[in-house]
Amino acid sequence: MINRIIDAIKTVSPAAWRIEKREEETAELFFVKKQLDTRRSKDVTFYTVTLFRRGEEEKMGFTSIVLPPEIAWDELKTRLAEAYYAASFAMNPGYAMPDPVRDNVEAAQTPLMQDPLNKTASRMTAALFEKDTHPQAFLNSAELFVERKKTRIVSSEGTDVSWSSARIKGEFVAQCREPEDVEIYQDFSYDSLRPEALSSLVEETLRFAADRARAQKILKTGSYDLILTGDNIGEILDLYTARSSARMIYPGYSRWKTGEAVQSALEGFEPLNISLTASEPFSSEGIRMTDRPLLENGVLKTIHGSNAFCRYLGTEPTGEYRSLCCGNEGTRSFEELKQAPCLWAVTFSDFQMDPMSGYLGGEMRLAYLIEADGTITPVTGGSVSASLLEKQNQLLFSKERYESESYKGPYAVRIPGVSVAGE
Amino acid sequence: MFEQLDALKPALKKLVEALRKEYAYASVLASVSDERSWSISRAGSAIRTGGLARDGGFVVRVFDQTGCGEYSFNRFSEGMIPEICRKIHEDLTAAAEGLRAGITPMPTRMPSDEPACLKKEAVCRIHPRELGDEAILAKLTKIRSKGLETEGILDVACHVSYKDYRKIFISENRDLDQRVIWTTAAVMAMARREQEIKDSYKGFSCLGGAELLDQVESGLPGVLQRTLELLNSEPMIPGEYDCICDPETTGMIVHEAFGHGVEMDMFVKDRALARSCMNGVVASPLVTMHDGSAVDEVATFLFDDEGTLSGDTVIIDKGILKRGMCDALSAARLGTEPTGNGRRESFERKAYTRMTNTYFEGGSDSLEDMMASISYGFLLENPSSGMEDPKNWGIQCMVNIAREIRDGKLTGRIFSPIVLTGYVPDLLKSVSMMGPDIRLGGGGFCGKGHKEWVKVSDGGPYMKARIRLG
Repeated sequence: MINRIIDAIKTVSPAAWRIEKREEETAELFFVKKQLDTRRSKDVTFYTVTLFRRGEEEKMGFTSIVLPPEIAWDELKTRLAEAYYAASFAMNPGYAMPDPVRDNVEAAQTPLMQDPLNKTASRMTAALFEKDTHPQAFLNSAELFVERKKTRIVSSEGTDVSWSSARIKGEFVAQCREPEDVEIYQDFSYDSLRPEALSSLVEETLRFAADRARAQKILKTGSYDLILTGDNIGEILDLYTARSSARMIYPGYSRWKTGEAVQSALEGFEPLNISLTASEPFSSEGIRMTDRPLLENGVLKTIHGSNAFCRYLGTEPTGEYRSLCCGNEGTRSFEELKQAPCLWAVTFSDFQMDPMSGYLGGEMRLAYLIEADGTITPVTGGSVSASLLEKQNQLLFSKERYESESYKGPYAVRIPGVSVAGE
Repeated sequence: MFEQLDALKPALKKLVEALRKEYAYASVLASVSDERSWSISRAGSAIRTGGLARDGGFVVRVFDQTGCGEYSFNRFSEGMIPEICRKIHEDLTAAAEGLRAGITPMPTRMPSDEPACLKKEAVCRIHPRELGDEAILAKLTKIRSKGLETEGILDVACHVSYKDYRKIFISENRDLDQRVIWTTAAVMAMARREQEIKDSYKGFSCLGGAELLDQVESGLPGVLQRTLELLNSEPMIPGEYDCICDPETTGMIVHEAFGHGVEMDMFVKDRALARSCMNGVVASPLVTMHDGSAVDEVATFLFDDEGTLSGDTVIIDKGILKRGMCDALSAARLGTEPTGNGRRESFERKAYTRMTNTYFEGGSDSLEDMMASISYGFLLENPSSGMEDPKNWGIQCMVNIAREIRDGKLTGRIFSPIVLTGYVPDLLKSVSMMGPDIRLGGGGFCGKGHKEWVKVSDGGPYMKARIRLG
């Protein structure tokens, strides 16, 4: 099919082209409590073709189209011709194509890559329910997806890269009926077979659900030192990934420059050390992706992003990143970090960091209010709101580490003086 | 592109016949779509095809002894029928056999397969393809250029997209065929306050085509004014206030705070407080809530992704919770009728109970009367995001602007950003005034939890209520 597409592309003679072939297969299981709701499987193949067109004054336009695996020759030519014509109306300053890369990255021979998808689904189902033994809390429902993908990218510049990947992902809801009937949502994603990690996550979430069931709506409106843990730290640090992206710098939404301090720390606090983590060997444009330093002691080291925006800024195209690693080693244990008084926000209904405004916020489903006399009370309700840009010079991290697919780094951070709208 | 389904339809019927030899129920949904978007901003201009989901393929649903099973694929011909049947058999058998002890099939009555035959094509005045890329981008460029003339504006971004789709649903007794087109547009302006970027937007949507573009320019002045006003915004002082919600904010409350809580797949899971409140008072007598295709908006269609015909579902009638929305599987499990709300992000995904066009009916109070009734409070505008909590009916909605009202008049003070919190029935029972005119907007997509994006619209009238703000 790729050769057919290339032949059809030749009929429109674009300035450059790129084809991405993606094959995906899944096994999916849906549960309601310990009952099987639905079984699903998927087997699809798509081709994404991007055509580049040169315009006047060295301008360039492009359009992408998604093609099914079976398409008649005449329709294929028609759709490519339409796409190429459309590209003439989306002209932007021209840029060079990504440097050619030829590589076939062999997938590691892991059980997740080799075993039948349903066998993996079966193992992870066992892990999902293994720790569903809490005396009060239980799994209300769950979704489990085992997926495998094969990707190949070829381009007019000579790029021909291919790789395979596999992932186990899903979500579950932990419920506790007494004394209050509550639930906690949790998602998960692993790029290797990690049944023990899923079991531990279920066990922890059931414990949190039980605590939420006895949590009180007593949080007073005011200012609190806020403790965030796990993926919520990755969410707030995404401010730095977003504002250092060529996508935000080129149009002037972000004014960050490499070599400049974009974050500083007051005495006794920690400047940030963050690196970008490659979760795939190549970007969707066929750019080889590697781990890169982003911030070193608060100084911006890398501007990153897609080919066009990086070329516009005169910086090396890196591809677009989806995960980061915070290298701060922390100066306090988690127990020390939680020194009273403070508020440890464990789960939110939806916790968000807006990279444009710099504000973080969300409504807390479970938090622990740690008062000056050492009393620890589970609380629920209330919303946090703060400008990270105002608070970023007073961040304290834990020595304990945390690792998920999108964030690696300290398990906890303490942010002082965060506004909370409570009762 | 759309005609290819005509050629495949006889083979799809043969596929269902072949599956029925092994399974008590079999259906197939085939979909094909033409999607395109145009955008322009400081980042450049772009034309993209395809939307959030790749929507061109097939999904089979069958019932065996273990229950419901599905297979999604995008290669199909009559010659492939034996291969597809074998693949479905192998996958469903392996999934059932691999279950650990203690996991049992969920008892599910087979969905009703009452005979129905329908073929209908929606019309639009101007198809975006006919208007063409050049004209659409020229229109957006003109709007953007006009916006950039305003001092203090960092950027103006304009966006238009459409989806023209055809879906065919075939089961033993059903033969349904629909073609629908929707178009949406948005204008967003940005301004800088030191390190912060403040932004505001206005969305537009319709069941139809490029005729929508005529409205877009009219939204620009309001967007520019709000964006510049935000530069002088102050942080909200948390507390409970008398508030007037603009129709967009009313829509967000309808959708996020209440609508998700009456999606009846949540009843099956015991995840919705609403199940225990049926026929009870959940809102002020001024509140009547609908979901369905009684209005022409982006989520109007003739049948859903499980082959259930759409309609108009009255969820709340004068403050009394009457019923929820329901997909076919959940209806079978709950012993009720489906309401045409079984929707998939694409053929690649499971169907869930999802909202369509969801809104509050209008009342009889004018905006002037609402303003005059408030000694101190806020006019809430420009909703940005929200999150459901069907289990506990907690509210988490964000709006961009709260305009201070003192003694019945706007003071000119602006607060931002604003978080709406509290308990949903408390808010809905506090509704004391409703405006006469309703407005729906379908610029965005709705997720189920944190995924499964489908097109929806929501709205209502101006609405006065007591709301906790932070």
